[in-house]
Amino acid sequence: MKKTFIIILICVSSFSVFAKDISEKLKDSIVYLQITYHGYGQYTPWKTSELSEGFAVGCAVDGNKVITIASSVADAKLIQARTANQNDFIPAQILTVDYESNLALIELDSNSLTKPFKPLAFSEKYVKGAGVSFYWLSADGRMYNGRGFLDRVTVESTAVFCSQTLTFVAAGISETTNLGQLYCLEDRPVGIASLSGKEKEGNIIPAQIINRFLADARNGKYNGIAMKGFEASALVDPAMRKYLKIPNDVQTGVYVANVYTIGTGSDVLKSGDVLLGIDGYSINPYGRYEDRRFGTLAFDSLITGKTAGDAITFEVWRDGKKQILNAVAKRFNASDMLVPWYEFDTQPEYAIVGGCILQKLTKSYMAGRGEDWQGKVEPHLYNYLINEAFKPTDQRRDLVILSYCMPANINIGYQNLSQYVVDKINGMKICRMSDIPKALALNPDAKFIVIEFEMSQPAIVLDRSQLDYAANSIAQVYGIDKMMNIK
Amino acid sequence: MKLKMFILLLFTAVCFAGPDMTKSVVMIQIVKQPYDYATPWKQTSISQGVGSGFIIEGNRILTNAHNISDSRFIIVKKENFAKKYPATVEFAGHDCDLAILKIADETFFDGMQPLAIGGLPEVNRTVETYGFPMGGTHISVTKGIVSRIQTDMYAHSGADGHLVVQTDAAINPGNSGGPVILDGNVVGVAFQGIRQADNIGYMIPTTIINHFLLDVNDGRYDGFGSLGVSIFEGLHNESYKEYLNLPADTEGVVVTAVTLNSSAENVLRRNDCITQIDNYALDNDGMIVIYGQKYSLSEAVEAKQIGETVDVVFWRDGKKQTGQLTIQLNRPVFEFARLYDARPPYVCFAGLTFVSANRNFLETWGREWMKDIPHILRYLMSESQTLNTDKLRKEYVVLSEILPDQINLYDGDFLNKPLESINDQPVRSLEDVRKAFRNKDCEFFIVKFISSDIPLLLDAKQAHQQNDAILKKYNVPSWTYPEEQL
Repeated sequence: MKKTFIIILICVSSFSVFAKDISEKLKDSIVYLQITYHGYGQYTPWKTSELSEGFAVGCAVDGNKVITIASSVADAKLIQARTANQNDFIPAQILTVDYESNLALIELDSNSLTKPFKPLAFSEKYVKGAGVSFYWLSADGRMYNGRGFLDRVTVESTAVFCSQTLTFVAAGISETTNLGQLYCLEDRPVGIASLSGKEKEGNIIPAQIINRFLADARNGKYNGIAMKGFEASALVDPAMRKYLKIPNDVQTGVYVANVYTIGTGSDVLKSGDVLLGIDGYSINPYGRYEDRRFGTLAFDSLITGKTAGDAITFEVWRDGKKQILNAVAKRFNASDMLVPWYEFDTQPEYAIVGGCILQKLTKSYMAGRGEDWQGKVEPHLYNYLINEAFKPTDQRRDLVILSYCMPANINIGYQNLSQYVVDKINGMKICRMSDIPKALALNPDAKFIVIEFEMSQPAIVLDRSQLDYAANSIAQVYGIDKMMNIK
Repeated sequence: MKLKMFILLLFTAVCFAGPDMTKSVVMIQIVKQPYDYATPWKQTSISQGVGSGFIIEGNRILTNAHNISDSRFIIVKKENFAKKYPATVEFAGHDCDLAILKIADETFFDGMQPLAIGGLPEVNRTVETYGFPMGGTHISVTKGIVSRIQTDMYAHSGADGHLVVQTDAAINPGNSGGPVILDGNVVGVAFQGIRQADNIGYMIPTTIINHFLLDVNDGRYDGFGSLGVSIFEGLHNESYKEYLNLPADTEGVVVTAVTLNSSAENVLRRNDCITQIDNYALDNDGMIVIYGQKYSLSEAVEAKQIGETVDVVFWRDGKKQTGQLTIQLNRPVFEFARLYDARPPYVCFAGLTFVSANRNFLETWGREWMKDIPHILRYLMSESQTLNTDKLRKEYVVLSEILPDQINLYDGDFLNKPLESINDQPVRSLEDVRKAFRNKDCEFFIVKFISSDIPLLLDAKQAHQQNDAILKKYNVPSWTYPEEQL
């Protein structure tokens, strides 16, 4: 009798680590999103790339609005939703997208909805080791689910985005999750799937980030998450701490190695500061702090957990003493960067001048070289990405490059020139893409358009009187409908 | 009459039979052991190889430098003789892939016949390549047509380009260093092929051989020099020509940069248009007519020895000008050519090993080194001519290895980074590193790196105290090479 009781107890407790299957309950809250993508070629920016299709999972959050991951809707041209109860597609559009939170709020056409959604509330609960279930709707309207367990909390970014945000990691998952699948702990939603981690691991955007995003998006004007405006390095070496005159009783702090011109802290921190704490949280020499709920986390989370505009306090060791620096949390768009890490939902800016293609240097452009692109791309361009990307200045907002010359009579002799950084056009420093038309219009009586480059490269000199004819001819020969796309 | 005819035929046969190659072509057996450029007090594994060579005037053996580079022991064998003769390298020109061997035992040359050096062969002539390909014991001969003569990269150094003669005779391993014969004279030294192509072989032409032989006459090999300018072949564009104020019929090349410390610094500047070098007129592709054909303008420069001068005619601001340039080595501060034979210098202090940044060091990353090396090294290597504005810089110095010890436990992040300064004194060479660490009076050594925002800190007193113990623990023979006391 006693033995049977123990067996039943074991069975009950082992089942208890798995969440209940709540597929039925979620049928009115999860949608299937069919997405059609149509981006632009990085090396032929006047042309769209091939059409492709994908899908994602949306979760109802408010009325006819659903949330999904931003990476799934990047470069989306058409989004259509399907619910478990409705066979025909429902038109949908993006309301708010934040690639740094990797979240997107999508509105479904209310007139096409035959049955209202049941909005979900995300719980900020986390139980280490607890079983979680995840849910998605297939294209044919069937609910699926899988299981895993909450393994850890980290602070991570995807490969594309700049910021490091709070992330739950589910381990031992029965299916790959990376498209917004809804994760539930017990019967409460706790996050959505962002990207696959290692084998049988899935990263989850937790409720903490989702709720912050939704609260921000509800205000009408989306402020976005705060982003770090500096780089910090571990400060463990006793010799370095001694050199910085940090007293032995101060065991905290990371070295502020590099301060950007954009982002949180960029206006108050200095290179060489030792960052001891943020908002009262002490930062250890490895750059981690003790989170009251999640334990040891990277300090980036103290910044990305804020909404741009919030107050933030840095405690630093500067000039041999502790100082408190009050600042405002800031965000920036990728397009604000000198070399944007990504560029979605927009046609790349370019200008074709005498067959010479001038365009903005972006990480996407370089990544167009394919596998191992970091080792293949010209080092002077890659150097801008890794050392200057977060440091735009008033003198330089964009990095304009000559990607290549389309062979034509006007550019004979220049046809092997490519991948140079434009310095001046007609003597005018090129600060941003929009300077190009202004610079081209300079010295209208001068016979030549002169494009000068960095790194001792030869200039390109074009006969102004031939430009229009060349443009027409090049447009015809190479099938270009628009010789310039500058915002 | 019949007798006369017989004598005539015999005379003709003797004249055109050519030399007996068994008396001129030799097999070279080599044991090699290169240096490890990341931990430069070590040598890598031993390998053995076979190459070819031939006897030239003065009881010398001419072969490829790549046959004997990093050699520890060399044997020369004659065909049909069992005896092995130890040889030594008298001169090696790694940039032109030529070397001269000497044999102490003069009896080696008994009955042997030196080959005469001829001229540049014409395209479409049939040449014969002699050597010991694939380790055979007998001399092999292959015939081929001279199919092209042009300037190309010499694979041995990986950085130097000179004239090459292309033939459709196969050049296989072991063939290298053998003579290419036309009408009984040497017209080239077989030296490299193309793996991707069938039967395309290259030989080093006599213009290069003669330069090498003349160069070593003074007992030292100096190498091939350059003008000291970067050029752009852009005058194909009429607008560019007009923008530079050049007469319409001008042909030449445009100077885009002048090499630091070159003789061109006082003569040429950016946007000058060079139209003539000595008596050679340049075309818009940078070609000149030399040896009866059009070749790169570098041929006019390569015909000169280091220290000789060339006259240049150039246009600047609409005016024709003349100047004289001294041919110099003008090697980049980040040496891109592979180095051989010499033990690499280093500094190993407090377990931190510093070496010169050069191609050999980069190649320690393996076959895919070009894309696998850290970005900053790739950047400096590619752009050193533009990035370095310090006239006193001799090289870039890199932290190549850390021999772990309590004192350097936290320095791993600095591996493979190039140095900027130590205690605010710029590091322009390994000698600057030596000089900095000799200091025993400072509290810290503050080592700053190029493109790095955080310095490496060493407690100076502890570093000096620990240094000998670390060297002993890791079997490092000396804290620096060339050796000296700290």
